[in-house]
Amino acid sequence: MRKKKCVAMLLAGGQGSRLGILTKSVAKPAVPYGGKYRIIDFPLSNCTNSGIDVVGVLTQYRPLELNAYIGSGSPWDLDLANGGVFVLPPYQTGKTGEWYKGTANAIYQNIPFIAQWDPDYVLVLSGDHIYKMDYNAMLQAHIAKDADLTIAVREVPWEEAPRFGILNTDSDNRITEFEEKPAKPKSNKASMGVYIFSWSKMRKYLEEDEANPKSDNDFGKNIIPMMLAEQQKLYTYTFDGYWKDVGTIESLWEANMDLLEMPMPIDLYDKRWRIYARTSGMPPHYIDEGAKVVNSLITEGCDVRGVVTHSVLFAGVLADTGSEITDAVIMPGAVIERGAVVRRAIVAENAHICAGAIIGEETGKIAVVGPKATIGPGEKVAAGVQVDADEQ
Amino acid sequence: MKDVMGLIYTGENDIHLGELTSQRAVAALPIAGRYRVIDFQLSSMVHSGIKNVGIITQKNYSSLMDHIGSGREWDLHGKQGLVILPPFLTRENMGVYSGLLDALKSNTNFLRLSTQEYIVLTNSHTVYNVDFSDALRAHIEREADVTMLYTRGPKAMGTEGENDTYLSVNDAGVVTGMEIGSAVPTRDCASLKIYITRRELLRQLVEQGAANGLHDFDRDILQRNINEGNLKVYGYEYKGLACQIDSIQSYFNFNMSLLRGDVRRQLFPADLPVYTKVRDDLPARYVADSQCSNSLVANGCVIEGTVINSVLFRGVKVAKNAVVKNSIVMQDAQIQEGAEVDHCILDKQSVIRRNGRLIAPAAYPIVIAKNVVI
Repeated sequence: MRKKKCVAMLLAGGQGSRLGILTKSVAKPAVPYGGKYRIIDFPLSNCTNSGIDVVGVLTQYRPLELNAYIGSGSPWDLDLANGGVFVLPPYQTGKTGEWYKGTANAIYQNIPFIAQWDPDYVLVLSGDHIYKMDYNAMLQAHIAKDADLTIAVREVPWEEAPRFGILNTDSDNRITEFEEKPAKPKSNKASMGVYIFSWSKMRKYLEEDEANPKSDNDFGKNIIPMMLAEQQKLYTYTFDGYWKDVGTIESLWEANMDLLEMPMPIDLYDKRWRIYARTSGMPPHYIDEGAKVVNSLITEGCDVRGVVTHSVLFAGVLADTGSEITDAVIMPGAVIERGAVVRRAIVAENAHICAGAIIGEETGKIAVVGPKATIGPGEKVAAGVQVDADEQ
Repeated sequence: MKDVMGLIYTGENDIHLGELTSQRAVAALPIAGRYRVIDFQLSSMVHSGIKNVGIITQKNYSSLMDHIGSGREWDLHGKQGLVILPPFLTRENMGVYSGLLDALKSNTNFLRLSTQEYIVLTNSHTVYNVDFSDALRAHIEREADVTMLYTRGPKAMGTEGENDTYLSVNDAGVVTGMEIGSAVPTRDCASLKIYITRRELLRQLVEQGAANGLHDFDRDILQRNINEGNLKVYGYEYKGLACQIDSIQSYFNFNMSLLRGDVRRQLFPADLPVYTKVRDDLPARYVADSQCSNSLVANGCVIEGTVINSVLFRGVKVAKNAVVKNSIVMQDAQIQEGAEVDHCILDKQSVIRRNGRLIAPAAYPIVIAKNVVI
């Protein structure tokens, strides 16, 4: 294997339990978003567009669908003879073997994977956010500062700062203190969970951390404080583009609704920074006579016969005659039968809403119909309710 | 792996397609909202388990090569995969084919070096979506020399007729006669120009034909051998949807027929996906005041105006107060504010400027060539 300057490690093992029924059978990065994408398309496409062509994807929770989706990596041009995308589940060595205990431990267990590329830098990513970011620009900043660790930050509104991991810096953006969810924040620089480490330092601290049996093996809780305590060079890198956490039902719904703004707050039309995805391969969608589509995104393979307003329809959705879909996210293959009404809701993959059913309410929390769940004729699903196919 | 290879000939006569094929082969003609014609032949071969496909090109094959690339989208980027066979010039070969037989003669090396027992040979201007396995099984069971796929019904494919071949097929499935290019065909089995045979037999027939100075595959090889009883030629009825794209009118009618659900379901059954080059467009965007009715719309479109009875390919923009009716609009074309088109075929990247009006009669759709600004 030829040497790589920078290798990316994408932490995709978390359950994402705040997404409820949507991550019951798939890992969070595999959750559909924006009509044709899955969350992981954003970090993977960002890597390709940033010229980073070795990406290790650390999986643990429900990896089947994510693995199948990543496949050879060809949709992201990551099927390479020297490089590419590698799915890295936990594995056994000798007589031992264990699950990934924490974010740092997940990387620690894959030190041999990283070492084989002999990189100078390691980029650590998560699969929780929708954003377009040039990691190479961040890497250049890291190199220019001769930093040991650079942490990407966003300047969040001060009143929201207590919800984030906050980094306090000096005037040169050198990090002086890390505070997880501070009640009285001294800075509004929130960590995005995007790190660039110089590899030699990263390896040293991962090994030290692993040797400490009391550690939670977590970057935020353990590695960063340890590096700060030892006067290592930690810098922030400010990212000011669109960045949306999609870790909850409400935020996933909001992030989809954001795409219906004019102009789109995240420019997905940009041909110089394409977001790639594995495609459904379906024919163009059909809009029937008498259908009405207002302010919506409609994907290939859909058959729209009803009224769709301010909604996102994924591939192969049937919205039958007389159905009304408003402020909703309808994931691939879902069927909305005649006269059914869907409002402020997420209808997951291959769910079936029978004739006359009513999903969600005009106000209140988002209703969710889980993957493959069926809502019978005329049934109602109230705001904030999640319907699980396995409990039906 | 199945013991069968594929060969697609893309050099057919396309005079009636006019402007649509002035810069490209029929095989590369955009169709059905997001495909090129050759996607249907290639996907059908892939559905049949074929891994080794040759594409004989003739003119303007750069757009075809750009579309096909490494064959990855059809899963044809394997060890055998896809071979593009461009025309070439040698002392014996002028590089200009006067027909399928000529083209095959120039490519006997590809036939010789392939290893499969059987071959599916097709043209590139007939749209269908089929798994050839059943036809291949029938071919083997009946110990046929050549099996020709056909569809039944007068003017089955709504075509110009000049090069159409009609067959007489008896109850045992044997082709007893052929009729080529007649204005009023007396037989009702239209050849789809899909042939199944043994690779070695095809090579022999081609070499013999060429040695005798023959050019036309249907006339000089098949018709002659059927009449003389030298070959066991069987017909195999294809009952699905097929359409020959050989004129502007047949192109227009075929695309429009896809607005019917039954036609779409026949051409795109869930178990036979049609593969094509991926473009990474986002889903189509409809704004607040847009109107759309009875239309097919591909990803990447932005609809701000009115679209009725039309087929929109990927990345088409219909601006405010613009009206697109009964039209076929290819990739990245723009209909600007207040413009109106009716019964038009807008080729790729064409632009209808503000308040422009192009209204054609139903019987004679207007074609706006690629990159043209009106």
